[in-house]
Amino acid sequence: MMRSFFTMLAVLLALTTALVTLAGLLLERQPLLLAGALAPWEPAIREWSATLLQVFSISVAVSIIIGILNLLLVHLRRSGRRQTGCGYSLVLFLSATIVIGLTYLERENLLTTGVAWRVLLLEQVQVTVESSLAGLLLFGLVYGAWRVMALRANGWGSLFVLTVLLVLGAALPLPELALLAPLRDWLLAVPVNAGARGILLGIALATIVVGARVLIGQDRSLRSGRDE
Amino acid sequence: MASVEQIGLWASFLLTLMVFSYLLGDNLLYRLAVFVFAGVAAGYSAIVIWDGVLIPWIQDTLLAPNATPDQLTLGATPLLIGLLLLARSWSTRGDGLSRLALALLIGVGTAVALDGAINGTLIPLLFDTGEGVVAGNPDSILLPAGVICTLVYFQYQTRRAPQGQGRRRRHIQLLAVLGQGVIVITLGAIYGAAILTSLTLFSERLGFVVQQAQILLPTPAPVPAPGG
Repeated sequence: MMRSFFTMLAVLLALTTALVTLAGLLLERQPLLLAGALAPWEPAIREWSATLLQVFSISVAVSIIIGILNLLLVHLRRSGRRQTGCGYSLVLFLSATIVIGLTYLERENLLTTGVAWRVLLLEQVQVTVESSLAGLLLFGLVYGAWRVMALRANGWGSLFVLTVLLVLGAALPLPELALLAPLRDWLLAVPVNAGARGILLGIALATIVVGARVLIGQDRSLRSGRDE
Repeated sequence: MASVEQIGLWASFLLTLMVFSYLLGDNLLYRLAVFVFAGVAAGYSAIVIWDGVLIPWIQDTLLAPNATPDQLTLGATPLLIGLLLLARSWSTRGDGLSRLALALLIGVGTAVALDGAINGTLIPLLFDTGEGVVAGNPDSILLPAGVICTLVYFQYQTRRAPQGQGRRRRHIQLLAVLGQGVIVITLGAIYGAAILTSLTLFSERLGFVVQQAQILLPTPAPVPAPGG
């Protein structure tokens, strides 16, 4: 009884907040579209919408902080037990603690080395590993393209690999391959542009469908498994 | 004694080698680098959110001089939502209340997603695609045609044939095949661009390793020429 009451309340709350926020956002972007219909409530809708957006963004930030704390606690607990991967967990926990600790010490002017440790760590650790991992991706991508031809040597697979080769070939500064550049440019301007627009429009339409399901109370993400 | 910059360069050099050691197979060094990266990234994210979002919010609301009850309530709401979401993972007792917090986030999130899909993607892309049509320019007609074909490929409505199987109408099927071709070319071009990007990053990292090896590692003394 109590559970279904909370479920109903949750659906109602989601519906109300979604409608108020959406109305506020639409009033902001398309004032002429809704101004006539919502004129008497316009100031209240704008104010509530702005407040809800503020609360939403801060709540997301709080959730991320809670998530990071949870990650660190899980790894601290794991590093305390003698189990597989406990060393890695300790490394993760220490790395995060060092970054947070150095930032705190820097802010409190307790570090007198004159070195911006936070920037140094960002440039020499974060950026280094990020770009190295992205560089390593090269091998995975090339292997993936080879697998497409090895496992799916059909028309679509061939078209895919041919496009990849065309894009790669046109990037080479060889006079023998100069003919490929205009073809690549046309490919990017017409079919690739059309495909990217089609995919983006498809995603937008799907988002609208899912959003409409929430707005009409049909979405079940608010109900736990026991309600079903 | 080595300077801080030198330590940073050593760290960067070693981390790059540790990541690239994955080319020999999954190993301890690679995993260590990845866990260091995850820890540093978690630390930085926590600092950025704490400094950039939460502290200003708390100072403007909860710790504001002469804060009104409305301000205090507004300031505490996101923190309460965060706690309720956290409680959801610990116990099922406060399930109903945490569901209300989730409902608020889902409601506002839906509105933001709908606004982004309508005003950020759908309307600008449709207008841009439609307005680009110029008589006498085949490319300007091919572009919207490609977009339509891509969208048709993603619709799966069929007519039931007398044998009981679902079948697309012939003209829809033709458009869907063309759409599939456009999508394959698009994905191929994106794949090729990703290979080029990772190749650039890989060569940059490789160049860095060679350069740093020459600077950091002691070079052997030149061997005197016989009889010199």
